[in-house]
Amino acid sequence: MIPALAVPVWRTLPWRTLGAAGAAGLLTAGLSRLPGTEPDSRLALGLLRGAALAGALGLAFLLDDPARDGTTTVPTGRAARTALRVALVAPVAALWWAAALLLVPGAHRPPAGAVTLEAGTACALALAAATVAVRHSDDPRPGRPAATAVLVTALLAPLLLPSRWALFTGPEDPRWAAAHDRWAWLLAGAVTVGVASLGEPLGHPFRRTADQPT
Amino acid sequence: MTALVPETEPATAPAAARSASRTTLAAVGALARFEARRLLLRVPVLLALAGYAAWIGWRTLQPWDDYPVLQDADRATQGGPLLVGLAALLCANHAVLRSRRRDTERHLAVLVLPQGHRTAAHALSVVPLALLTAAGVAVQFTWEALKPGAVGRGSVAELLVGPLTVLLFGAIGVLLARLAPSAVAAPLLVVLFFLMFVGAAFPFSGQETGAAWFAPVVGGPGTHPLPSALLGRPAGWHALYLAGLALTAALLAVLVSGTRTRTVRAGLAAALTLTVLGGVVQTGGVPQVTTAARLRASLTPEKDQTCVRQGTTAYCAFPEWTPRIGDWARVVRRVQSLAGGPAHGQRLLVRQRVEARYGLYDDAALRPSTTPHQVTVGTSWGGNRVPEFSTAVAAVLVAGDEKTAGELCDGRMVTVMWLSLAWQSDPEAQLRHVRVDDSLTGPAVVLSRTEPLTMTAGQTKVVRALLHQPFYGVAARVKAHWSELTKPRISTARAAELLGVRAGAGADRCE
Repeated sequence: MIPALAVPVWRTLPWRTLGAAGAAGLLTAGLSRLPGTEPDSRLALGLLRGAALAGALGLAFLLDDPARDGTTTVPTGRAARTALRVALVAPVAALWWAAALLLVPGAHRPPAGAVTLEAGTACALALAAATVAVRHSDDPRPGRPAATAVLVTALLAPLLLPSRWALFTGPEDPRWAAAHDRWAWLLAGAVTVGVASLGEPLGHPFRRTADQPT
Repeated sequence: MTALVPETEPATAPAAARSASRTTLAAVGALARFEARRLLLRVPVLLALAGYAAWIGWRTLQPWDDYPVLQDADRATQGGPLLVGLAALLCANHAVLRSRRRDTERHLAVLVLPQGHRTAAHALSVVPLALLTAAGVAVQFTWEALKPGAVGRGSVAELLVGPLTVLLFGAIGVLLARLAPSAVAAPLLVVLFFLMFVGAAFPFSGQETGAAWFAPVVGGPGTHPLPSALLGRPAGWHALYLAGLALTAALLAVLVSGTRTRTVRAGLAAALTLTVLGGVVQTGGVPQVTTAARLRASLTPEKDQTCVRQGTTAYCAFPEWTPRIGDWARVVRRVQSLAGGPAHGQRLLVRQRVEARYGLYDDAALRPSTTPHQVTVGTSWGGNRVPEFSTAVAAVLVAGDEKTAGELCDGRMVTVMWLSLAWQSDPEAQLRHVRVDDSLTGPAVVLSRTEPLTMTAGQTKVVRALLHQPFYGVAARVKAHWSELTKPRISTARAAELLGVRAGAGADRCE
């Protein structure tokens, strides 16, 4: 069943949105190579985080399905279709992230593993937001509210997080390692929430339907 | 039952056209008001406004901000509105795309207002948010200006930058929705703008002149405020550039939406002219006259300064800082009252100095003065600047001049630090503040507007022991042994002995 679905799902993925987000991310990462910019590892880290955020914003639109009303009834459950979408886009996203990493000059590139963890968490959070939005609305395009939530969170978190829970630290910061433990926990949380909201809910939890006994 | 319609006179053609255009304007206004209300109630905008209000409060309540210099305080209002501007970009974009998303474009297309007019209404809907930001800027600046320690004067053009940024970002959001009607475009642009304008990834950011001025907010306040005549910032042209750019974006959005009347084209041409004019003039660099004034103020400040004598001390300050002379005089009086011997009645000259030759963001120390009994004071005040100045006064009283004071390495440092700190409330906390590493033990560098002083671990121990002793006893001993305490090459151990403390002083730096 899944191989048969792969081609149609591949064709319905929002490639233009993903492409725009990917291009914006690469542009962001490449800003550090522009003339007039002082090479600086803190700036490079900021730009890579920006690139990761751009990619995550694109992924928030991954579950947009204009034909949602029609596909709800197909025999393959939503969990499988969503998982297939994620699986199809994951290699492309990995390639894109490698390109973004390579765009930053090597001398100023932050530790690749740690930044990749941050980028992976951002993408997982965006996907989890999209999954939750799909589960809790009938909107065929739940990407916009999901992307807005991710964007607002990402811009406000560095300003509002107390120092004890700092996430956006630099490699020279003594809290760098602890911050990446927190990133890993965040990734685990995002994956858990995303997986938990994968399936099609059986009946609306908050809405009484006529055939339910009152 | 039917209502009777009163018979009207047949309208002439121009009158009908006028009335039709008035109806259209009224409809655009009504739509703009409706969209403005929706925009103000969107969650990102509300969050941004709450964050902006918190930012104003947090900044303005800081203790180091008790003595604002208004020509820097006006620039300090520009950062916060960026957040509101980004929210405006996102939400104005969403609002324009709403009819597409909900598939109501077809219904709206048959109504009286063509798409261009609706776009204009969306662009206008950002105006109330910009006005709200202007109110925030006004509150922040007025709050600073009303502080008793405020000096200097602000510039209206610098204050306009915040609201104009909100307007510009909102207009860009509307234009983006017409150029790239996709829900992902605005969030991506927000990320890019955030990195460039908040995260300083804009190429040329950090420069003082040239292409840096194409960014909406150019440079925050510097470390050391300068007299307003030395700023040389093309603030007026920059405000014109921002206003022109906002108008250009809005009119371009209207044009792209299909309304291509002569008025719109003429308006667009005018807005573009304004933008280019402001954009070109603002990158012209620091004017010659400002460079000359900077040179004069850095090398021969006495030519620009006003001098006031209070007690035995003369205070020379740039005219904008004369209200602060009272604060300096209080410190000098307290320090000098603790000194003994000839220093007690010594005539001092406190001269304000700046280093403006290397631009607004230069953070270099000033060259110590070799003139005897002259003390340098900077342009900032409040917080650590008070114990810093107090130490400078004490060092000149003990060593004679700043150059010698900068080279102090012996037991005289104990006397300097005690004079500087003993009169202050909570001297140990001030000792911590005046040391660069905020420590209370071990060796440390002591803050200074000129060459920094250094304390050894032994001197730190002795000074702390002195601060724990009864004040009047130490004061009497300082006065009694003044000539020996201020003699060059006195050891720290000897100074401790004279002042009656038993603390292992260790060796001095120059021994």
